[in-house]
This record gives sequence, C-alpha cells and structure tokens, in this order.
Amino acid sequence: MLDVHQFINGADSYEADVLDGFARAHAGLVRWNRAPSYVVRRNPAPDKVALVSGGGSGHEPLHSGFVGDGMLDAAVPGHVFTSPTPEQVIAATKAVAGDAGALLVVKNYTGDLINFRLAAEILDASGVRVRSVVVDDDLATETDGDGDPGRRGTAATLVVEKVCGAAAERGATLDEVADLATRVVARSRSLAVSFSGAQLPGSSIRSFEVPADEVEFGVGIHGERGTARHPLRPVRELVAELTARISGALDLASGHRVVAVVNGLGATPAAELYLAYGELAGCLERAGVRLARGLVGTYVTALDMRGLSVTLTVADEEILALWDDPVRTAALAW
Amino acid sequence: MVTPVLTAAQAHDWIVAFRDVVVANAAELSDLDRQSGDGDFGTNITTVLNAVGGRLDPGEDRVAGHFAVLASGFMNGGGTSGPLFAIWFQGFAEACSTGASAAQLADGAEAGLAGVSRLGGAKPGDKTMVDAMSPAAKALRVAADQLAVPEVALADAAQAARTGATVTASYSARRGRASYVGAAAQGVVDPGALAVALFFESAAGAVR
Repeated sequence: MLDVHQFINGADSYEADVLDGFARAHAGLVRWNRAPSYVVRRNPAPDKVALVSGGGSGHEPLHSGFVGDGMLDAAVPGHVFTSPTPEQVIAATKAVAGDAGALLVVKNYTGDLINFRLAAEILDASGVRVRSVVVDDDLATETDGDGDPGRRGTAATLVVEKVCGAAAERGATLDEVADLATRVVARSRSLAVSFSGAQLPGSSIRSFEVPADEVEFGVGIHGERGTARHPLRPVRELVAELTARISGALDLASGHRVVAVVNGLGATPAAELYLAYGELAGCLERAGVRLARGLVGTYVTALDMRGLSVTLTVADEEILALWDDPVRTAALAW
Repeated sequence: MVTPVLTAAQAHDWIVAFRDVVVANAAELSDLDRQSGDGDFGTNITTVLNAVGGRLDPGEDRVAGHFAVLASGFMNGGGTSGPLFAIWFQGFAEACSTGASAAQLADGAEAGLAGVSRLGGAKPGDKTMVDAMSPAAKALRVAADQLAVPEVALADAAQAARTGATVTASYSARRGRASYVGAAAQGVVDPGALAVALFFESAAGAVR
C-alpha cells in the first residue's frame, strides 16, 4: 500500500511508468525503447556525430528531455540515482551512431564512469567510433587529492549537451565535438544550495532535513548532503556567495562573457528561480562580467529537492553561436 | 603427470554455492552498503545471482562456459559493482578452458583484477573489492607456482580474500560509493570485498 504523498504507482514500476508517460507526451519528438531501456529521437540523423548521454533516473527532464533536434540523439536512463548498464548504453549508441561516430556525455560519478567506460570499450571493439567526455562541474566536491572522485557532474551537463548538440548538427567531426565538449567542461562550474534532501519514490524518508532558519550549501543532485550548513539569509546574499565561489574557481574577470544557468532541483517555484537569476545578474554586473546568455528553469533535478544550482560557463563567440542555434527537445526549445 | 584440474561440474556447484551463500548473507551485505553507500548491494547481487542460477546449464562441459554465464549476469546487473564483477569473472572465463588448473585460476584472477583496476581505477587500500581480489590473485599464483591442486589453491585464495576484506574496515574510502560518505564508512567492511571472500569460500564445499 502506498503511504507517501507521491503521484506514483509504486517504486518498482517507477522508472518505466515515467518513461511511458514521457514518450507518450512527446511522441512527435522521441521514441522509447523499453528493453533495454533508452530514448532516441523520432527523426534519426544518421549522417552526423551522435550525442549519447545517460545516468540514473531522478534528474528529469535531464537527459531524456534533451533528446531531439540540435541536442541529444539518445538518452539512457538507469534506475533512480543508479547508472544504466553497459548493455543499455551499447544498444542506445548502436541505434543512433553512424559512420561519424558517437560522443558519450558522462557525468562524473563512479558508477557512470565504469558503466560508460565498459560500454565504450565494447562499442569500440565492435567497430563503432566513440569518444567520451566526463562532465565535472560541481565545486562542492572539489578536492586536492589526485585519486579522489573529484567534482561531481551536475547542471553543466545541460550546457555541454546543448553546445555540442549544435556543433554535431552543423556537421562537426567526432574529434571536434569531443574537443569542444572538453573545452566547455573546463570552463563550467556549478554550486547548489537546498532547504531539503530528496525523497526516493515510495520512501517516506528524506535524505536530510534542514531547520527553517538554515540552508545547506554544496548539495549534490542525488540528495547528497552539502558541505556546510549556514544560517538562512536573503537570497541576495546566498546567490552572492554562490557567484563569488564559482567566479573564483573560473578566474572570472571584468570583460569575460558567461552563459548562466539558474536551475531548480525539483521542488523550487519558478518565481524563486527568477528571483535568484536577477540577483545573479546583479552580481555579475557589479563584477563587470557580461551575462551573455541565461537560462532559468527546472532542468537538472534531484527528485523533489527544494534547492537551486547556479552554473556559469565562460563563453566565446563559438560557444555563444552554438548556444543560439535552434534546438527542439521536450525540455529545451528555441 | 596429469595436471589436476577443476571440472565443469565442480565449477557449476561452486557458482551455485556462491549464490546460496550470498542469498543467505544478503541482509548483511545490504547493511554494510547502507553504512558506506546507498544500501542496495545485497539486493542487487542477489538478483544477479538468482538470474545466473536460472541460466547455469548443468550439462555445460566447460568451466569457461559457467564463468561466462556469471560474467554476463553481472554485466546486466547495473550499478557500480555489477560491471566490475562482470569484468572480473570475464577474466576467469577467458583463462579457463574445459577444466581449470590452479595456474589457469591464477591467470583468471590476475586478468580479472587488471580489468577491474583499469575500469574502476581502484588500488589496494582504497576500500573496494580490489582489497580482496588482489590478495586472492597473489595467493592463487603462489599456490599454482607450488603446483598445488585447485582445491588447495582456492582455499589459500579464500583465506587471503577474507583477510583482505576484513582489513577494509580500517580503511577510509578513496574510490566508489563509500568515498562520498567519507568518515561515516570508517569501521565498516566493504561489501564488495566481502562478496569476493564469499566467492572463494564457496569453493570449499564444491571443489574436492
């Protein structure tokens, strides 16, 4: 019997139920292959470099929501917060990759790295040209240690997928798209704050709770706790701190141009995201940094966390032009 | 002199015994994972091994064939440990033939360990399954060099893997799930390493 306030049928069928609804809602854009589970665009583009991404479910609309013209060719969803299997990644990649090859966009988590790496080896051995890029933008888990897991992959994934999807659509080669992805990753950093942890499907427990007069800094997108808990302050001050830390990590200086993403973690009202974006714009303005492009919305989530993340990407002419290229997916379209 | 080998029937019984001991210890494996990761390890490995148990063919006449079934079961097991165990058992599948001598088992354990290290990046001391796989591979090699029969070689490997797994409790994690929870996993045995120990210990009843 269900005993939590979630609009689900049960934890066991959760991922499949979500994908079934998603595929029905966007039948003109995508097709869902049930087993092995992956989502591909409805109108295949076999002549260009294919973009394939994936990871655990629970981050919707990432990644399936970014399948379509000008972005991903295939998305591979695992169970909630669990990497997809090599079998899924291989089947999805083979379904969309032509002679131009495929770029696998992987978020920096141990499970994703292993499963995608194994898939890439097997694809390579079977004659499919693949390259992989690992997105690692989350400042919260940055450490000095060489062998440490390092920064997690979070909302910068969206920027990588948009920019590289556009480049692939323009006819760039696999090496060009992969190098571009590496460049975007190197120039992108994110940081997230939250008032709550995440509640898994069917679970009555939240991964963590935050008292009403505090806020958790440096949270992850799997309900991971943050690195510090601060007294609650107006969003102007919270965003100023996020911006300062990201700016420092990117060595942002007056005259730089950035693409900014203010992203909801699943349960934050759109109004508050816009409010935060306004504060971010003010911070950047005062620092002389040009906010060249911005995106506000709920894109890279952690189920129902009531938090937000800020991502900045240092942009150049090429990145901005690719950002502006047309895109037509379930979650992003212009 | 004929080199003593593990037979296909023994390999079959070994894998079945491994499944049974994992099922019996699923709660403990999950509990260890809850303290160091996300708590689904016992359920996941049980699901994989039950599926493997259903696909093992008692009529299979090659040790390599049984290990291949084990490897492909883990390949579809998902998560972090699934593909790592898959590549490990694949090492055994490729090193063994109709039978498996102690030297072939050592070859398999070494190749599997190399695959796991390459894919996962973990080294001994990082509090992962490698902490049991590495000493077990060494023990198998030493035994094989001394021309031990498979039964003895596997008993040595079991002892080495168990010691390796037990010691992970004193490590802080540098790789894998437990690395994200830091000090919270201190004092907890790595469940992946424990599963490796259970695997070699399962040979005792099946291989004699």
